[in-house]
Amino acid sequence: MDNARAWLDKIHAFEFDRPIKIMNVCGGHERSITHAGMRGALPKWLELVPGPGCPVCVCPEEDVYQAIRLALHDKVILVAFGDMLRVPVNVKKGEVRSLAEAQAAGADIRPIASPIDARRIAQDNPDRPVVFFAAGFETTTAPTAAMLAEGIPDNLSILLSGRLTWPAVAMLLDSGSPGFDALVAPGHVSTVMGPEEWSFVIDRHEIPAAVAGFGTESLLASFYSVLRQLKTGERFLDNCYREVAHPGGNPTGRRLLDHTLEVVDANWRGIGIIPNSGYALRPAFAQHDARLLFPDHTDPGRRRAGEMPPGCDCAQVVLGKIYPNQCRIYGKACTPRNPVGPCMVSDEGACRIWWAGGVRVAVDA
Amino acid sequence: MCLAIPMQIESIDGFTARCQAKGVWRDVSLFMMQDTLPVVGDFVMVHVGYAIQKIDESDARTTWELLDQILEENGA
Ligand code: SF4
Repeated sequence: MDNARAWLDKIHAFEFDRPIKIMNVCGGHERSITHAGMRGALPKWLELVPGPGCPVCVCPEEDVYQAIRLALHDKVILVAFGDMLRVPVNVKKGEVRSLAEAQAAGADIRPIASPIDARRIAQDNPDRPVVFFAAGFETTTAPTAAMLAEGIPDNLSILLSGRLTWPAVAMLLDSGSPGFDALVAPGHVSTVMGPEEWSFVIDRHEIPAAVAGFGTESLLASFYSVLRQLKTGERFLDNCYREVAHPGGNPTGRRLLDHTLEVVDANWRGIGIIPNSGYALRPAFAQHDARLLFPDHTDPGRRRAGEMPPGCDCAQVVLGKIYPNQCRIYGKACTPRNPVGPCMVSDEGACRIWWAGGVRVAVDA
Repeated sequence: MCLAIPMQIESIDGFTARCQAKGVWRDVSLFMMQDTLPVVGDFVMVHVGYAIQKIDESDARTTWELLDQILEENGA
């Protein structure tokens, strides 16, 4: 890690007379940053802000509620990435508030690690409906699209909660108070979609940006790049993950996404509708769209439907407006053992990552 | 969920590749790699069971080291 030292020295050689904030929008980046203890090794004037990098955290509350109801009332086999199982919905005390609780109550809910597992489970249970509750950003949604395009059993349908990453960043930038001076763009989203997707940050907003991988060196290189851009006034989309994130991304993946799914306005939990930020199945795949096949149980009249759990500041954390430990109940009522909000449930949630990284005390916002 | 892991391809049958990473074997889909199909011996980045890109051996090894550290921490 000699190179990491060299990057750190170069970063320390900069002088800024104001605090500089660099946002990342990827749970993997945040994990690497926190794990390596980068914040402690960087200059005081530099802040690293975790932003919208956790698809589980912003998965609509209504969708989780619908998945729970499908499993409990429509007797489907509900499969979902393991992260989703403990995400709480807002229901009255005593009611089932997560897929894990529904599972304990007898519903057939199975955690999976790949869309391929969903297909296999459907093949193994031909006389039962299987619903794949698919939350995720582009990197996860593209494999789901691939599975759909390759062909899936008649009894398998998809409750799709796929989201695009860049529109959330665009929304922050358009808001006029983005809360960051530079952006580190996500490595694996760029691997699939192409780094160029992030050019708008520079072209429209003149904010420096660099794609980064997950190693210390790649991340430090991206910090150096955006800081240098801030200093010189020069602007370009840098790529510090060239070994994996190629220009144009993964052409097959993009084609499969486009073939099976369309981009739609979509709801982000606690945040609201973000234009062109979600995926929906194209009409040609309607026979596999769980939203069309099953009754809608979402009941928008429920108290706090669509919101974060009471007392949980996840939406503010996701938008980078506060740090995880600035939530009033971080580490008190909310810990990985007893998570109150999705940011403490998901491996990509900033609250959970900070807790795993040893941040144990809340501070004032 | 978004963790991608480099794996080495040991055999290929249609769009399914038997892949290995540090003594762990998995069936990985190559369906997303149709524009640049990898061959046996290649390293690929695997995300939720799908290869999403090829990767050099040296980069694969660096990533393994990094993942080891992170998994160690999460297990703690
Ligand atoms: S600490 Fe818990 S309650 Fe607070 S924002 Fe994070 S997940 Fe939500």
